Amino acid sequence: MNLKRTAVAAAVLSAVVLSGCSSTTGSEGSDAAACTPADGKVELSFTSWIPGIEDAVDVWNKANPDIQVAVQTGPNGNSGTYQNFFNQLKAGNAPDLGQIEYDALPNFRVQNGLMDLGACEDVMASKDKFVDWTWGQVSLGESDSVYAIPQDSGPMAMFYRADLFEQNGIAIPTTWDEYKEAAKKVRATGSYITNFSQGDINQFAGFVWQAGGSWFQNDGTDWTVDLTDDASKKVADYWQELIDEDLVSTVPAWTTEWDNAYNTGAAWTWNSAVWGANSIASGAPDTAGKWSVAQAPQWKSGDKAAGNWGGSSTAVFTGSEHPYEAAKFALWLNTSEEALTMLNESANIYPATKDGLNLPILKQGVEFYGNQPIYDVFADASAEVAEDFAWGPTMTQTYNDVSDGFKSAVSGDGTLFDALKKGQSATVDALKAQSIPVKE
Amino acid sequence: MSVSVETAAVSAPRRRVRPPKLVVQHKKAIAIFIAPFAVLFALFYLVPIGYAVYQSLLVIQRDGTFGQAREVFGGFAQYVQVFQNGPFWQSVGRVLLFGAVQVPVMLGLALLFALLLDSPILRGKRFFRLAFFVPYAVPGVIAAIMWGFLYSPNLSPFTAVTQNIDFLSADLVLWAIANVVTWVFVGYNMLIIYSSLLSIPTEIYEAARLDGAGQMRIAWSIKIPLVMPAIVLTAIFSIIGTLQLLAEPQVFRTFSSAVSSTFTPNLTVYTTSAIPNVNLAAAFSVVLALATFILSFGFLKFTQRKDDK
Repeated sequence: MNLKRTAVAAAVLSAVVLSGCSSTTGSEGSDAAACTPADGKVELSFTSWIPGIEDAVDVWNKANPDIQVAVQTGPNGNSGTYQNFFNQLKAGNAPDLGQIEYDALPNFRVQNGLMDLGACEDVMASKDKFVDWTWGQVSLGESDSVYAIPQDSGPMAMFYRADLFEQNGIAIPTTWDEYKEAAKKVRATGSYITNFSQGDINQFAGFVWQAGGSWFQNDGTDWTVDLTDDASKKVADYWQELIDEDLVSTVPAWTTEWDNAYNTGAAWTWNSAVWGANSIASGAPDTAGKWSVAQAPQWKSGDKAAGNWGGSSTAVFTGSEHPYEAAKFALWLNTSEEALTMLNESANIYPATKDGLNLPILKQGVEFYGNQPIYDVFADASAEVAEDFAWGPTMTQTYNDVSDGFKSAVSGDGTLFDALKKGQSATVDALKAQSIPVKE
Repeated sequence: MSVSVETAAVSAPRRRVRPPKLVVQHKKAIAIFIAPFAVLFALFYLVPIGYAVYQSLLVIQRDGTFGQAREVFGGFAQYVQVFQNGPFWQSVGRVLLFGAVQVPVMLGLALLFALLLDSPILRGKRFFRLAFFVPYAVPGVIAAIMWGFLYSPNLSPFTAVTQNIDFLSADLVLWAIANVVTWVFVGYNMLIIYSSLLSIPTEIYEAARLDGAGQMRIAWSIKIPLVMPAIVLTAIFSIIGTLQLLAEPQVFRTFSSAVSSTFTPNLTVYTTSAIPNVNLAAAFSVVLALATFILSFGFLKFTQRKDDK
């Protein structure tokens, strides 16, 4: 009895003690921070998952003895690094800088995790250096604020097996209607035109983006969630047809099984982003030289619309004592030809700057793609990406809920559009649960 | 903790002729010996639990979309959410079904193997003891990845089977995971039961043999009743383990369409904390901990009552 009572007392005591030191989440985040240089030497911490980023940081550290950056690498954002960031922000020990994909920025913004760099003159002056829509992604639609420096982008195009299309006399599809017709011909050979990934909701969002949809809007006070608009319905119904008619495979993406499908020619195309060039080369090494890249299939013949999948930014977290130096480093990392070339070589990072798209390294033919200068296709696509697609403040949850629904749909339970409807209501609930104002 | 003990002793009635000095000294010694444990126990057990309970009682409020988020006391608001959350209770039902089938199968196998190892008929005991136990040395995540490859329709070495039976489909994936868990833990449970078998005095067997009992009879009427406490122990471990399934479904999620982000209760907690909605995740955890507590103690009480009869 006595032991039980003391245990309860200890539990209550610990709760009381802890309540004293954690009454709010995050600290001052909404106001633009003063952006002034510090006196003396500054040390910054930076967390990223880009392979080879240490080398770029080394170059910076050698050139800037007064602003030393310590880089730490972790898993991809949604695989654990974002979770760490949220925990660190709650505990008040987040790094100065972190890598955040565009689709996660509103989430960090709502959690007061991002420093507004609007007061940093250097940053605001660089606005025109960046591809317009990438700036829209980091300013979150506000004119005097910016919450991260764009790093790379993921304009989408169609990777296809040029050799197989040619051998079988199938024309390269330029519209989604042609794509479906081609899918039937490909299926007749025993293969699939592509694999529909039930887990890559951001790829699906890229399709919706291309079709002119937008899932989220924020008018400054309220959020609007619109996963079921006309564009989304059009895209969902289209892929549902392909799934129903067994014209696409539905192997879970990013598995060995999936790599194997591409490596053995069981799947012929992949509608993916520029960074996908690397994924194919590493996942399907036996197909070297047989791939090409073409503009993404269009909804209307003659259009040039492009979606975007992925792309990330370098953000400064609230709590950083040196926003000026942090922003200076982030600008160098994402705009200097030196850093961008290094990051492209080590990780296929496709720059978010206008000049970056013309780096010499991006003008060369790529051996894996039969020496086609594939980045020209993506540069054209990048110019066509719509500016106003916005992400929601609980994107991890939205992805999970839609993905759960997509998984059921490919298993024959419900449709892709049902999944979007479920994702819609789950997202509205998740926003309400966190007192984020949402219009219904 | 020791403070309350001492003050209680000091404020004891002084009228007593012989103050219980000896007892007080012992208590001090006990307190000193317990202190290292108590500190660690409090720091890494009671405080986190207290913190989780505290977090689960908060709700988030903010002024507008980008206003400062405040955590305010919300009573049982998060618990209302928990009890209204369909997917969470579905996941609880799923692991209960899992446990109702997998735990008896696993413990039955563990008992069978332990009895075989203990029987005088079997040869090569040391080899089999090790062979059954080795899977436990494989980390759960690695085991899940390995079995994932074995189940894979196109990459499995047994494609003749896996192309016809999709072990990763919605109907079978739960049992595919059950198989992995069983494979990993049979040897572990077998060892607990086996060590309990070894502690049975050989005189009892001798007496049984004199009474004319064969090996089967000895196993059924002597060995199993005597190792019952060990079986109960492994059953409780297994119930707790079942409710806390995380690693295997998490791994299977990457290559099976049938494993959702709320497949097991712990996966639901993990998914919720990634939103990040830590308060709701804390409430889920507290409810899950209580359910685990009730189930394992309920099982213990149930088996003890049977013993009393």
